Amino acid sequence: MFKYILRRIFFLIPVLLGVAFCVFTLLYITPGDPARMVLGDLATDEAIKEFRDREGLNDPFLIQFWNYISKAVFKGDIGRSYSTKRPVMTEIMTAFPYTLKLSAFAMIIAIIIGIPCGIISAIKQYSWFDTFTMIFAMIGLSMPVFWLGLLLILLFAVNLRWLPSSGFSTFKAMILPSVALAAQSVSMVTRMTRSSMLEVIRADYIRTARAKGQKESIVIGVHALRNALIPVVTLCGLQFGQLLSGAILTESIFAVPGVGRLMVNAIMSRDYPMVQGGVLFIAITFSVVNLLVDLLYAYIDPRIKADLK
Amino acid sequence: MKLKKFLLFTLVFAVSLTGVAFAKDALIVADQYDPTTLDPIGHNDYPTSRACSHIYDTLIFLGKDGKLKPGLAEKWEFLTDKAYKIYLRCGVKFHNGEEMKAEDVKFSLERANTPAGSHIHTYSQDLEKVEIIDDYTVIIYLKKVNYPFFSSLVHSWGSIVNKKAVEAAGDDYGMNPVGTGPFKFVEWAKGDHYTLERFDDYWGEKAKFKTLTVRSIPEPTNRTIELETGAVDIAYPVTTVELRRIEESDELILQRKSLPSTTYLGFNVTKAPFNNLKVRQAIYALLDTVNIQRAVFRGVGKTPRSLVPSSTKYSIDDQLAPHERDVERAKKLFEEAGVDPSSLKIVIRSNERKERIDMATIIQAQLSELGIRSEIMQQEWGAYLSDLQKKTHDVFLLGWGLSVPDPDYAVAGLLESNAGTNYTGFNDPALDEMLQKGRSLPDGAEREKVYKDMQLYINSQLPMIYLHADEAIAGVRKIVKGFEVDPFEVHSFRNVYFEE
Amino acid sequence: MQNENNKNNETEIIPELTRKHRSPFIEVFYRLSKSPLAMFGLFIILILIFCAVFAELVAPYSPIKQDLMHMFETPSASHWLGTDEFGRDILSRLIYGARVSLQVGFIAVGIALIIGGILGAVSGYYGGRLDNFIMRIMDVLLSIPQTLLAIAIVAALGPSLMNLMIAVGISAVPSYARIVRSSVLSIRNMEFIEAARSVGSSDLRIIFRHIIPNSMAPIIVQSTLGVASAILNAAGLSFIGLGIQPPNPEWGAMLSGGRQYIRDFPHMTLYPGLAIMFTILALNFLGDGLRDALDPKLRR
Repeated sequence: MFKYILRRIFFLIPVLLGVAFCVFTLLYITPGDPARMVLGDLATDEAIKEFRDREGLNDPFLIQFWNYISKAVFKGDIGRSYSTKRPVMTEIMTAFPYTLKLSAFAMIIAIIIGIPCGIISAIKQYSWFDTFTMIFAMIGLSMPVFWLGLLLILLFAVNLRWLPSSGFSTFKAMILPSVALAAQSVSMVTRMTRSSMLEVIRADYIRTARAKGQKESIVIGVHALRNALIPVVTLCGLQFGQLLSGAILTESIFAVPGVGRLMVNAIMSRDYPMVQGGVLFIAITFSVVNLLVDLLYAYIDPRIKADLK
Repeated sequence: MKLKKFLLFTLVFAVSLTGVAFAKDALIVADQYDPTTLDPIGHNDYPTSRACSHIYDTLIFLGKDGKLKPGLAEKWEFLTDKAYKIYLRCGVKFHNGEEMKAEDVKFSLERANTPAGSHIHTYSQDLEKVEIIDDYTVIIYLKKVNYPFFSSLVHSWGSIVNKKAVEAAGDDYGMNPVGTGPFKFVEWAKGDHYTLERFDDYWGEKAKFKTLTVRSIPEPTNRTIELETGAVDIAYPVTTVELRRIEESDELILQRKSLPSTTYLGFNVTKAPFNNLKVRQAIYALLDTVNIQRAVFRGVGKTPRSLVPSSTKYSIDDQLAPHERDVERAKKLFEEAGVDPSSLKIVIRSNERKERIDMATIIQAQLSELGIRSEIMQQEWGAYLSDLQKKTHDVFLLGWGLSVPDPDYAVAGLLESNAGTNYTGFNDPALDEMLQKGRSLPDGAEREKVYKDMQLYINSQLPMIYLHADEAIAGVRKIVKGFEVDPFEVHSFRNVYFEE
Repeated sequence: MQNENNKNNETEIIPELTRKHRSPFIEVFYRLSKSPLAMFGLFIILILIFCAVFAELVAPYSPIKQDLMHMFETPSASHWLGTDEFGRDILSRLIYGARVSLQVGFIAVGIALIIGGILGAVSGYYGGRLDNFIMRIMDVLLSIPQTLLAIAIVAALGPSLMNLMIAVGISAVPSYARIVRSSVLSIRNMEFIEAARSVGSSDLRIIFRHIIPNSMAPIIVQSTLGVASAILNAAGLSFIGLGIQPPNPEWGAMLSGGRQYIRDFPHMTLYPGLAIMFTILALNFLGDGLRDALDPKLRR
């Protein structure tokens, strides 16, 4: 098991190098001089030249890349943001709690609503509840998050005045963004729970349990659910990883100062160290969450364990 | 900290809901964006200037009447036209307890000329050095005669910082500001809000409330909602769409003042056919600038007629006649220029600001009436500026705002041949000479004439078409007293109090 | 992000290999027609395609004709869905917008499918080091969020319709590469492939004649759902100002343009949003229906 984790972490290294290389290349071909962006449009040509020299922007591409990687690996330094002059890591760590809170909230909503709905749908397959839930889940999947966000603001913030439309400091202010972000995950969790439940219900051991005359609630609650939830847990884990890294639109609609908005602003303002550091951070988060999901999967499904050795 | 913040917000919310009246001691303000840094020379954008104006003081202040009045400088005298002697106020304390002395002034101003101050070099570049006479007297020497320089000291670039604090904080100073202003720094949750607290050892009149929280709320609609629900006390800027709501509300007051700013359609005069004055005039004749402004801003601001904003001294804006569309004249001008309008294909560039894109969209439609084909190219700020630098563009929409009340700053940055922000590529020795002359003259009839002639000259050369002069607009809750919207949008809360 | 709903299902799909008496197309369509939701989806898609192709005939007005005397009109007899901030007819803009959205959706998926399909097929067929190499590259792309990757690509190339399609397309490449690879893997060692190899068919021929046609089912399903996520992704990019340039009508851009007027004129954001939602919904219904129709095992 331990060896497996080590191996997975080891495999992460080339992926991260690849991510860094990709971002580097993209930034390299992106038009717009970061020096101009950083120093302002009133900056003199000498100041621009000085900045480019200092930041190594005039070096050949591969040298720039090597400098960045070696600094990051050997000194653990991923640079300072051009625009705020603060260390990139500090910037990310200020923004990350917001994203984490937002994603966790959304995930909780998805689990609380999605799993029960999925189970009931599966048990009462083809009932009106099932049909209704499935259509609703499909609508949830098809709803653009930026539109849902606007509708929520219009309804709950503008017309009903129940909830604030921005500011992420209070619990109340977190409700709307979390709900908007959760819509997709709720639908996915519901659908997955339902289909996995359906498969399990038809399985032989459930039939056996029923045949042995066990109570239906025990059959469903104990035997079926335990097995049906395995893929759902995986999905939730993957979803959580996605939410952590992909709440860009939600964050920009509700003005949540999270990692997504930080990244968009960094790209827009040519804050190269910020973009590089941010994307690397997101890639690491995403990969680590995936690794955890795999481990969790192995833990709850003993059949997998053998493969991990 | 978190808990305190939470309690504070809940409290404010509860108060606004129940309407319980007890003395408020916290002012909450909604701004559009976060400051970039709290280092006064680190940036040149409005949210940053505003934040710095609470934390820092400048040597001189700008009075409501537009006259300069003493700030950290008690008085001053002009030794020559390149040397100003400044007598500093005694006993002024920084937020860290240190006394403000000549050394800090020298450090602050000279620091602006280092690469750290690249954003504001346009103001600081003519500074030669600051000489310390004693702890409370300095002499500022300029490299060359530049009368507008002195009034530029009211801009946030002239904020006096504490030398020790800056040197100790190094690169992190932008997050750990130490000034002499009426509010001292408490915390900054980037992208969300920053909080300041009354500085009890302030040398001037102390603030009348304890904490100042400035939240950044980018969406205009959200700012208004928060103002209406009482979650914030003051909100700015207010956009056209939101005006009516604030005006109609019983609890809110709308404050507006014209802003010395110009949004313009610039020609790249280094490129054919825009190097031809006749073509520029033809396009101007073809555009209904007054109605473009009306359609997009619906009652806010106006169409400027001169590059020097009407509220700035020596402006001839109000004396000129409004522009009228004349399609026939446009046709004739194109003929005289020997250019067939239907053969033109113009790229109109702009950044993503909604109002600019809206204006470009109408311009596009009006150009098409003579068969001119055009395409709008919307770029994000970084790519936009660097493309404009390359001077390969056709026409572009951009804005220019004045932070210092002198006509020189309205013209020089845009049209002087060596200006870094001269995106029209306008290179005219006659204009350069006028600018040079204007700078070297003290205020008076002679200087006034230079700038008046200059404005007419620019209009005759038409390097740009003026589209919009904006307004500074803020929404204020009725219980907030003593707030006045600032004509340069650097709103101050020094005199704000709550009605009992 | 959008794509996730599809990824989880890729492994469930097992290509249909057994030949039926009827032509496979008719057989699939027959099964598809039994699902009302899929037919509903197909119907909406056909309407959209019709609108996109014949926009000039269907739309009552020009999508870019301004009328500054009639700005912000709410729905009426002359403007069924009202007008926007330039007095342009919203219905007409939605109809022309369908053209843009479908174009983006199909072409982006086309790009993703061609690149991802070739990479996946090569990877799955040859296996070994090459497979490993290609899949590591895909891992790299997968660990950057799709939206973020697309934003970075558009920022690098500059905003335009073509670049939008490229950005959305490239960011979807890994999911196609994976799905094609896994279906190639599942049939690579089947008897008829062995047979083809033993009679001396070239690799290229085997890939194109046997493997790709036989792994079509999951690809068709993934592509249908992929068009949906491509449209959604593109609308998202336009929403934050990185999409198609004005005055061209695009649903996401219309939404973000109407955003600041949402309190006074909600119709400006309501209809573009509905248009996006129904299009995605239709594609998702169709994709789900196709999955069931193409995979007899899942039929119940």
